[in-house]
Amino acid sequence: MTEKAAIHDFVQDLLLRNEDRAPLADGDSLLVTGRLQSVDTVDIVVFLEERFGIDFAQIGFDRDQLDSVDAIYALTQNATAVR
Amino acid sequence: MSAFAAQTEAPATPQSPWADFRLIPRIETWPAAVSFVQTAPGKVLLLTLFGLGMRFFLPDLTAAAGLTFFFGIITFLPEYRRLVLAVAPILLVVREDFQDPLRVAATLLVIALGMGLYFCVMRWPKSLFARRPIVSLLSGFSLLIVLACYSPSHSHTSTVLWGMVAVLATYVWFIAYAVTDKSSKPARDAPLELAALRPLWGSTNTPFPKGAAYLRRIEAKTPEQLAVVQLKGLKLLAWAVLLALFQNLWYRFFHGYLSIPLPDQAIAMSVHGTPVAWHLRWAAQILAYFELILSFSIFGHRFIACARMAGFNALRNTCRPLSATTLIDFFNRFYYYFKELLVDFFYFPAFLRYFKKHRRLRTVFATCVALIIGDSFYHLTRDWTFLRNEGLWKGIASYQVLFVYNTVLAIGLSISQLRRRKPRPKGFFRGRLLPSTGVAFFYILVIVFGSEARSFTLGQTLHYFASLFFIYY
Repeated sequence: MTEKAAIHDFVQDLLLRNEDRAPLADGDSLLVTGRLQSVDTVDIVVFLEERFGIDFAQIGFDRDQLDSVDAIYALTQNATAVR
Repeated sequence: MSAFAAQTEAPATPQSPWADFRLIPRIETWPAAVSFVQTAPGKVLLLTLFGLGMRFFLPDLTAAAGLTFFFGIITFLPEYRRLVLAVAPILLVVREDFQDPLRVAATLLVIALGMGLYFCVMRWPKSLFARRPIVSLLSGFSLLIVLACYSPSHSHTSTVLWGMVAVLATYVWFIAYAVTDKSSKPARDAPLELAALRPLWGSTNTPFPKGAAYLRRIEAKTPEQLAVVQLKGLKLLAWAVLLALFQNLWYRFFHGYLSIPLPDQAIAMSVHGTPVAWHLRWAAQILAYFELILSFSIFGHRFIACARMAGFNALRNTCRPLSATTLIDFFNRFYYYFKELLVDFFYFPAFLRYFKKHRRLRTVFATCVALIIGDSFYHLTRDWTFLRNEGLWKGIASYQVLFVYNTVLAIGLSISQLRRRKPRPKGFFRGRLLPSTGVAFFYILVIVFGSEARSFTLGQTLHYFASLFFIYY
């Protein structure tokens, strides 16, 4: 499974847990639209820490970077490049 | 799907047989209505209806007319939106506080301070302040309060310091959003940052709807988007008017006709040795729960309706809180922008920094930081008059009951988060009604400690709380 697909699946699971069965495109806004909540952001953060080894305390945290699958993927790429 | 197009009216909501029912129809989805609102007569009609709605809330005709006038400029000349939003609130400050030059000066000084700090963060991102903006800002504000508390009473110094505290208390969280706006470009976004420091649409001490970073993402970019968001604003204002009318009837019926006391009155009677009947105590608490939701819905809808009228497709502040099946969901649905403030400035900084190897502990710790430290700091500084009137330590001590409220809430929300991963029961009764009732029961009990009047000691409040369960001591 590619990294982006893994992120997509994880986000899709979060949406399903919230009983949101609407289709999810990689560019869809998640937080600004209210599809995901701050408490879901916590889950995304932990997922990125565990799966990609990202340390937000080091790279800085901006919730805008978690607003879509594309944005999360870009974040993982940038974090990897920085390391 | 763009962020704007996908913007839902509310956080994701489970579907139900009533999901499609709307008391106010979804006019923003009617192509004819959206097209009409883009024409000159449509804009005039929209502004007239909105102005009438605002007149319901603003007893001052000039204020309602002035606000509608500024929305009119934004509607007809959206390219000047940011400029109008930046300048108009300052003009209104000068007009409102014209008789109090000290307050006008303090307000302008604090706005200048906010913009100055924003430019410093943008210009020197590696500086100590830019690396820890919230800690620095809140430490500076705390220092100002301490200085004011220990300044000689009735002196010019005291007057000036408390004047600064009064103004800064209303601006500090707006400045906090400005100095943490990492994606801002000063050359392009400075007017919007200024606009967000004192929103034209009004606000409590909690920024509605957050700061410029959020506003940039939800701003209408095309005439069609503007028409859609303005129609949503009009609808929300209409809903706020209906709720306000309902609230009026509610108070007349329950507290007038049935003479059920407010919780503070029930506690006061208990303190004075003439407690009201047991069922009235419970009735007071249960009503208080619904009244809190009603009043938060009304003021939140009004602010967000105005923000939408200005072209920003903001999420509602309160959205179907009674449908919440967990405490954390209720907190999210009840006062969304205050929850966002606590999450942005307290929860995440703690969560990302401490106990990273211990998932449960870091969740509980971050929640406690947000609720016990963040919420307490917010309310202690918002209600700075207690500190001025009673002195620093007595003022802080008067917060004891609310401190218990925050602690109980922190424990409840921590448990709620830790239980999120467990599978939810299915069915209406076990999956919806029972959890929703449990959430309501928790808040009905915890708001015994939520009185902001600070008229009762912790012992008196606990005594009243115990009396709800026939425990007298």
